Amino acid sequence: MYPAPFRYHRAASIEAAIRQLSELGEGARALAGGQSLLVWLKMRFGEVSDLVDIGRIPGLDAITQDAAGVRIGALATHARIARSPLAKLLPIVGDCANGIADNQVRSRGTIGGSLASGDPSCDWPVLLTTLDANLHTQGPGGARDLPVDGFVEDLYVTKLKPGELITGISFAMPVKGSAGAYVGFKRCAPAYPTISVGVQLSLKGEQCEDVRIALGSAGLTTIHARAAEAELKGKTLTPATLARAADAAVAASDPVDDQRGPIAFKQSIIKVLVRRGIETAKRRCHGETVEVSHEYY
Amino acid sequence: MSWVGKSLRRKEDERLVRGQGLFADDELGAGMLHLYILRSPYAHARILSIDTAAAEALPGVVCVLTGKDVLEHCDPYMQLGPEPCDKIRDLPLAVDKVIFQGEPVAAVAATSPGIAMDAGQLIDVDYEMLDAVVDAEEALTDKIILHEAAGTNRTWHGVYEYGDVEKAFRDAVHVVRIPRMHFHRYASTPLEGNACVAEWTRQGTVDFLCNNSFPGFAQQLLAPGLRLKSDQVRIRTYDIGGSFGNKIWNYVYMALAALASKKAGGRRVKWAELRTENLLGSGHGNERTFLDTEVALDKHGVITAIRSRHIDDCGAYTRYEPLGCVIWSQVLPATFKLRNMRIDFTQTVTNKCPAVPNRGYSRMQHLWFMERIIDICAHELRIPADEIRLRNYITEFPYETPNGCVYDSGNYPAMLAKAKQLVDWDKWKKMQVAARADGRLIGIGIGTTLDSGTNNFGQAQIMNPHLPFSGNAEVCTMRLDFDGALVVSLGTGPSGQGHETATSQVVADELGIDPSMVQVRSGFDTGWNTYVGHSGTYASQFAVTGLSAVHGACQKLKAEMRKLAAFLLEAAEDQLEFGTGAQGPEVRVRGTDKAIGYWQLSNVINNNNAMLDERMADVTLNIRHVYRPPFRVPDTKRKFGNLTLTYAAQLHIAVIEVSRETSRAQILAYAAVDDCGTVINPQIVAGQVHGATSHGIGAALMETFDYDETGNLLTSTFSDYCPITSLNIPDIAYGSIQTPSPFSYSGAKGMGEGGGAPLHSISAAVQDALYEAGVIVTGSHHSPPAIFAALQKPNRAQAVSVEKR
Ligand SMILES: Cc1cc2nc3c(=O)[nH]c(=O)nc-3n(C[C@H](O)[C@H](O)[C@H](O)COP(=O)(O)OP(=O)(O)OC[C@H]3O[C@@H](n4cnc5c(N)ncnc54)[C@H](O)[C@@H]3O)c2cc1C
Repeated sequence: MYPAPFRYHRAASIEAAIRQLSELGEGARALAGGQSLLVWLKMRFGEVSDLVDIGRIPGLDAITQDAAGVRIGALATHARIARSPLAKLLPIVGDCANGIADNQVRSRGTIGGSLASGDPSCDWPVLLTTLDANLHTQGPGGARDLPVDGFVEDLYVTKLKPGELITGISFAMPVKGSAGAYVGFKRCAPAYPTISVGVQLSLKGEQCEDVRIALGSAGLTTIHARAAEAELKGKTLTPATLARAADAAVAASDPVDDQRGPIAFKQSIIKVLVRRGIETAKRRCHGETVEVSHEYY
Repeated sequence: MSWVGKSLRRKEDERLVRGQGLFADDELGAGMLHLYILRSPYAHARILSIDTAAAEALPGVVCVLTGKDVLEHCDPYMQLGPEPCDKIRDLPLAVDKVIFQGEPVAAVAATSPGIAMDAGQLIDVDYEMLDAVVDAEEALTDKIILHEAAGTNRTWHGVYEYGDVEKAFRDAVHVVRIPRMHFHRYASTPLEGNACVAEWTRQGTVDFLCNNSFPGFAQQLLAPGLRLKSDQVRIRTYDIGGSFGNKIWNYVYMALAALASKKAGGRRVKWAELRTENLLGSGHGNERTFLDTEVALDKHGVITAIRSRHIDDCGAYTRYEPLGCVIWSQVLPATFKLRNMRIDFTQTVTNKCPAVPNRGYSRMQHLWFMERIIDICAHELRIPADEIRLRNYITEFPYETPNGCVYDSGNYPAMLAKAKQLVDWDKWKKMQVAARADGRLIGIGIGTTLDSGTNNFGQAQIMNPHLPFSGNAEVCTMRLDFDGALVVSLGTGPSGQGHETATSQVVADELGIDPSMVQVRSGFDTGWNTYVGHSGTYASQFAVTGLSAVHGACQKLKAEMRKLAAFLLEAAEDQLEFGTGAQGPEVRVRGTDKAIGYWQLSNVINNNNAMLDERMADVTLNIRHVYRPPFRVPDTKRKFGNLTLTYAAQLHIAVIEVSRETSRAQILAYAAVDDCGTVINPQIVAGQVHGATSHGIGAALMETFDYDETGNLLTSTFSDYCPITSLNIPDIAYGSIQTPSPFSYSGAKGMGEGGGAPLHSISAAVQDALYEAGVIVTGSHHSPPAIFAALQKPNRAQAVSVEKR
């Protein structure tokens, strides 16, 4: 398909982009990597009159980390994050970045766009919910900091206000002894996951001190599986506790019956991935180097 | 020195890998218009009105076509089937009703593809939704009828009965019953969608540059469809990005580009499908349901009889259909020696994309059915899968099947032995036992299949006795050119099979020259007059029809060259030999230095002929040879006769593990053994085997066209349909044996389709993995959701029963 005609503007700075978006009004959209937006335009979803390209605004793609925490600019591409030292330091980040689509999409698509698209199948909102990240915005009304958890309110609906842009995300550096894993089950590289699960775990000996679990493609938005976390916190990780956590995750999920599979099937995959995620995180907590990748079927 | 049998580098690849191929969509030119086809969002609906005013008013739009234009300028395409198919009205645009999602309802020609598409969105079509029927058995109840004039959805019915089925069942020791099996819907999804550039010329002719893969047939359908004489429709092809049979049918919508060109005053109009259009509205493979199957076996597990009822679902239109209702019978007993069979065969239309030939066309569905039978019998009767096949394989060739087909040659036990060795059968058998003890589900499956090639079109008369088709033919023209090069044209119009290369090898051998001296023209052109009605690339036949035409042309050309050289060298013809001298290729008098170069022979005929006399009058060094395989018209009453000339075979073994966690069937090892008789170019054959194997693995594990009950296609993008890519293709241990065909001049057999072997081997492997879990594999698609459902509800009690006498 070809998109309907639209006007193209290139913003030189974040301020300029906000101004342009506000002036152009309802029909204007920010364009980052275009890997969601251009697909929508080609399918002629919604009426878009103007695109404001924010992709070349300097300085918005930095990835920095220090003792206090990690900050990733909104325009950092999936590929750039996958290749960054951060992906080695925090393997859960590498798991996620490398598992998104294929090379072409990873080279263009951005972390900011992934959040802003409000797509329940996008991976970054799931990962960032797992890491309890915040996102930072700038808009006509000034700057805001919001938790990623809850930022997407409904299918393709986010808390962003008109003209407001995501400038970056940040999260605290996980404490020592804490590790995570991000696992997905998907049909092939250029397909969105059928289900994905993020787990960040803190262990004390064999006991779970703290844990965060988030589910992707398992409902209309990212699902923060608090009940599953409750099954683990303060407990020793045994097959039985893992199974209870997996069941609780299923109970918290609300997958749809679609071409990727019926609900019961997806529930069975949630169970597997929750277990896989916890087990991998646990091994990483113990200092093991564990390569995980999404499973393709 | 022989070029045949060598992996000569493909001549085509130089331009293809450099991006210098010429595909229809690459054609550009000043003033060219672009066609957008507006398609129905509904599977079944009445068209109440179409308003094109807003679209026509859009700047850049040159013309808009609707059903009205089509009625005014076109006649419905010829239907192949008997009553009631003749009542089916197939036109390039829907007129008063749409019957599948994606059916074209209007077309816009504009100065850019974007404008054409924008205009398409401005066309206002008022539909009245109708209930859709997507299930074949339900369609046969005729509660919802697609083609009202036909009065029924049933497009064909016939009974194929051979031997003494009743007696075989009376004498049987075991009777195995399988109430229901289903072969799913998918397609080969060529990389290049359907495309053409059409020009309605000032002479009133139409010139197409297109990617149709059966142009000899397309011309015969398009010309009357456009109310033109055959020769007024010129069809050219150049490079084609894969067809797999899917591009046989695209003449249907090529007509739209022609009509738009006519309406636009003769400007060239390009139509190039987008991917979703291709998935939604081009052509799918046939879906088939096998009901009430009963299998008679003797005490050794040798199958003695099969009876069954088959329902083929051909989607909304019978485009190449109901030919598929006969084509499967080319391989009636598969690779097994049973003599008694009764198949009751029905075809129906449904509100889904029309079925078109698809790699393995119609035989694959039947072969899968036969392979499921033997495989299920093996498990139920506790006979090892390899053993039961060895007991049932045909072993003597040529072999006449119960319906009169002649299997030319083969050695299935040798292929099985080779595949077992390649896959490391004994190792996996041990691993399987060990894995089972750990609760892991490993399965090993054998698939033996046939790639019947070189159709006898006389089989069409079994389907419709009034059809004026029989036999088969292909054409080669060959000219000895000014510079001594051999210029060859073919009627085959290849779509990636390397015809330029294989042809060069044959000509090089016959004329004693280097393959670089052979210039094979790319593509197809009716303007060359190198074609007959059968011309095209389909049904695994090039190595036989195409190369036999080339070989025959070489013999005729050599005879002329010899005659001319004898005259010029004043020698007897039998003193002459062909060879290469200091000046290049020449004809010389044996044992002397008297010789004349190829270019000199050409020069005499073309530039310097005053020394010739009337004895040389018919020497032109410009040959046209038509090869016709030795066929007769089958006995249509008994449905008996030789339907194909050659039978290539494939034997695959898949080792898979089904995950209890994710229900995913993962291939652990895979072997593919091929026998296509004498191999012309091993690298091309290996490429075809890898391609066909990959297609089959994709079909078995990933690809399916899923419709919901309203006829809405759920898998209409590549993200949802998920065609197999290199990431999902396992390592394939490839081997081959060669049993030369006694029926082709070289011993070669056609081999492009691969017979869907991975569907058979993977279904068998999944069966082997899940049998102990109480699952009988009765479907051909093994996605995780399908396996999940099977493991949730083991079906053995309903899916099979065994009666021991
Ligand atoms: C074939 C294919 C497969 C894919 N598979 C996956 C997958 O497996 N997993 C996955 O996670 N993703 C997948 N994606 C989506 C991909 O990750 C996108 O890159 C991502 O969803 C959007 O990022 P973008 O930079 O391309 O945003 P764009 O497409 O440019 O924009 C998307 C939306 O976000 C808005 N937007 C963009 N940036 C900002 C910003 N800084 N502030 C405010 N609003 C903004 C835009 O206005 C638009 O509404 C796939 C995409 C394709 C084409």
